[in-house]
Amino acid sequence: MAIFSFLRSTVLSKIVMAITGVLLLLFIIGHLVGNLQIYLGPEPLNTYAQFLKSIGEILWIVRIVLFVSLVLHIITSLYLSSINNSAKPVKYQVVNYAKAKINSRSMLVTGIMIFAFITYHLLHFTFGITNPEHYEQHELTVKKAYVLPGNVSEEQLKSMPKNCFVEQNILTERHDVYKMVVLGFRNPFISLAYIVAVVLLGFHLSHAIKSCFHTLGVTGPKFTPWMERCSTIFSIIITLLYVSIPISVLLGLVGGGV
Amino acid sequence: MKFTLHIWRQKDTTSKGSFETYKMEDVSEHMSLLEMIDVLNEQLISEGKEPIAFDHDCREGICGACSMTINGRPHGNMKGTTTCQLHMRMFKDGDELWIEPFRARAFPVIKDLVVDRSALDRIIAAGGYVTVNTGAAQDANSIPVPKESADLAMDAAQCIGCGACVASCPNGAAMLFTAAKIMQLALLPQGQPERKKRAIAMIEQMDKEGFGACRNYYECEANCPKNISVRFISRMNIEFLSAATAKSM
Repeated sequence: MAIFSFLRSTVLSKIVMAITGVLLLLFIIGHLVGNLQIYLGPEPLNTYAQFLKSIGEILWIVRIVLFVSLVLHIITSLYLSSINNSAKPVKYQVVNYAKAKINSRSMLVTGIMIFAFITYHLLHFTFGITNPEHYEQHELTVKKAYVLPGNVSEEQLKSMPKNCFVEQNILTERHDVYKMVVLGFRNPFISLAYIVAVVLLGFHLSHAIKSCFHTLGVTGPKFTPWMERCSTIFSIIITLLYVSIPISVLLGLVGGGV
Repeated sequence: MKFTLHIWRQKDTTSKGSFETYKMEDVSEHMSLLEMIDVLNEQLISEGKEPIAFDHDCREGICGACSMTINGRPHGNMKGTTTCQLHMRMFKDGDELWIEPFRARAFPVIKDLVVDRSALDRIIAAGGYVTVNTGAAQDANSIPVPKESADLAMDAAQCIGCGACVASCPNGAAMLFTAAKIMQLALLPQGQPERKKRAIAMIEQMDKEGFGACRNYYECEANCPKNISVRFISRMNIEFLSAATAKSM
């Protein structure tokens, strides 16, 4: 396919890895900000979830961009790995790395494990397939509405002032994301899988973020060491914040009322 | 000093090689590693055995001919040094040394520790030069070069093309070599006319030779006997991107 012709060049492939990586990282940050609202209680989190679903087209654009990024990221990494393996058919008897740390050498393995988790995570919380009893949670919320006065056409409605209508509270149903997350994380196995996956993600990011800067040419003698420290700290912070959610649920700090 | 050497012996490109163990006694600490192998070879010849084949030329650390991996590190563990400048005093008495050829698909073993590095020459032939008119050279000062550019170009031009970057890279990538050779010319006025063509041609040749891709391990920088910075790879990526997009317009 023409879209994959960039794979013929190792440099272009690396640039594709970096750009798709940046898009996926932006999602990781956005998703974290959304998730952290669990600490604010059920109301803000469920309202946020409702808001995400209400923006329809934009949500789908984001989903499509993320899906394409993920597919390109995975295909490119697998392709590059096959090139890299064939470029070094005989390994050294003595392996003695000077700078390559375990995080950079395990990118493919951590990447595959993260992908496996993403698949499970989507089946669990987005599609509600693996644990429908967690997913099928709804709450009733009160909304303001106006009572329609008898036989009035739409044209007439528009010209009528607001005070012509009687205001009433109506009950609507919405997805109770808060309850779903709390029930999900109360299962210690699900929490453990989540924690392991997020730690692997942090490990992946600790090499990925600085690699993005490097591949995209954002480097300098003073900037690079500073940037490398910052990306490590940033990866640790992201990991800790994500991990804090299942731990808080397991400790009963969040979701006590569920 | 005493050493136990495990040296890779391989008859030719197609035959299967293996490690041979040699015990060395009375090694002077002032010897370079190559000089120690010279002594070993004299012994082997006097015993009627085949001496160990290895590449070497200037023995001053500037030609890039000597190529061997010592205990997993091309040119040995000492930073910014070629094998010929690696002296035995850098090791501990009684050390065991594993000496292997540079390993990469693009560097087939010719014999023992000698590998064929002509893939690097073909990358240079693809565009690592400037085209100049014949005739009298113009006055040197007629082309102004900013000091910063000249310094940076010199840093890149330190590359002696030894291939340690390829040998040390877990992916067998030649990105540091290619980046240094592209950037030394891209940074100078004389390199401008063929700048875009050069970046594309050299990187395409690099890919054709079967080198791997960069995964930012930075092993190349750590093992480069000339301490060439991986930041040149960063610059090369951008150089390639701008050349490739300009070509498509």
